[in-house]
Amino acid sequence: MWIKEIFLMLIFGSFGFIVSAGVFTVLLAVGLIPRFAGKTHTGDHIFLYEEMVVAGSIIGNLWSVFQISIGLGQWFLILFGFFAGIFVGCLALAIAEMLDTIPIFARRIGFRHGLGLVVLSVAFGKLLGSLIYFFYRLASPLQ
Amino acid sequence: MGKEKDILYLKAERHIQVEKEVVKLSDIAKMTCSDSQIVNHLKTITVYKFKKDREKRKVISILKIIECIHEVYPDMTVENLGETDIIMEQIKVAEKKGVIVYGKVVFVSLIAFFGTAFTIMAFHNDIGIQDVFDNMYMLIMGESPGNITIMEVSYSIGLAVGIILFFNHIGGRRITKDPTPIEVEMRTYEGNVNTALVETSNRERKSLDVD
Repeated sequence: MWIKEIFLMLIFGSFGFIVSAGVFTVLLAVGLIPRFAGKTHTGDHIFLYEEMVVAGSIIGNLWSVFQISIGLGQWFLILFGFFAGIFVGCLALAIAEMLDTIPIFARRIGFRHGLGLVVLSVAFGKLLGSLIYFFYRLASPLQ
Repeated sequence: MGKEKDILYLKAERHIQVEKEVVKLSDIAKMTCSDSQIVNHLKTITVYKFKKDREKRKVISILKIIECIHEVYPDMTVENLGETDIIMEQIKVAEKKGVIVYGKVVFVSLIAFFGTAFTIMAFHNDIGIQDVFDNMYMLIMGESPGNITIMEVSYSIGLAVGIILFFNHIGGRRITKDPTPIEVEMRTYEGNVNTALVETSNRERKSLDVD
């Protein structure tokens, strides 16, 4: 039996190893953390930010794989939801930007003014979409 | 053997930050010349003066700087080995290390922490990791898995090792001497921002340049 156990250990160890490389290369290629650091002028603290990325992913992994209950109450949920929301919001737009959707489209239609309005519309669209998604439970299968 | 036949080599920086309102030539570029007196003199030349309560950032062209040098040494040959457009920025020193800075650091740290925690969970949800685990367990062990098996443990260890190796440090200590991926990415980002600043400034004709 031990052979199989060792085999399992080996393949799932490498699975985790490669997943982390893949997932974090994507996160990094999008360049979110440098952008946060650049915007807040806290480039000296990149080390800390990286440690937070490491800690966050390890703990998030433990939560989702082992389904550990931590029982920290509602304030923690609010904290988690708020900051995870910021991150995902930035991620979504950063990916859109990396693919140059906005510049290409703006060029095609000869768009010059009102970029601020477009950005605002995108933000409100996301907010509305997110609320509708959760409110009507769009994730659950249709009846 | 006139002094002014000498060649002045200068290497301009891409982005300079000054605390005072005057920008000296020595702030902008490193210079060398066979006559060190010329260099010492040129270092003290004022290139630009920031006006009070106006924009704190200005792009200056190397041509303007060469013009400044030619005003003093008209026959000097100037060779620029560095950047051709320089971003000058006036910064306040007192602003550093305040409560606000720490607030920002905490803010970004929280985003990084919760954001990545959420991302990895969403990813696991996306690929249906529990199904993959169960199926693999069946395939290899020939029996249904219990609650938590060796798979979850080894997967988590693999993930942790992968991330730590990827970012190249743990607990504030580097594993190898290379810069970490985000440090590299940060420099790339700064470079892109500087390029964008210069190009915007040139396009809006706000740069300091010769006509």
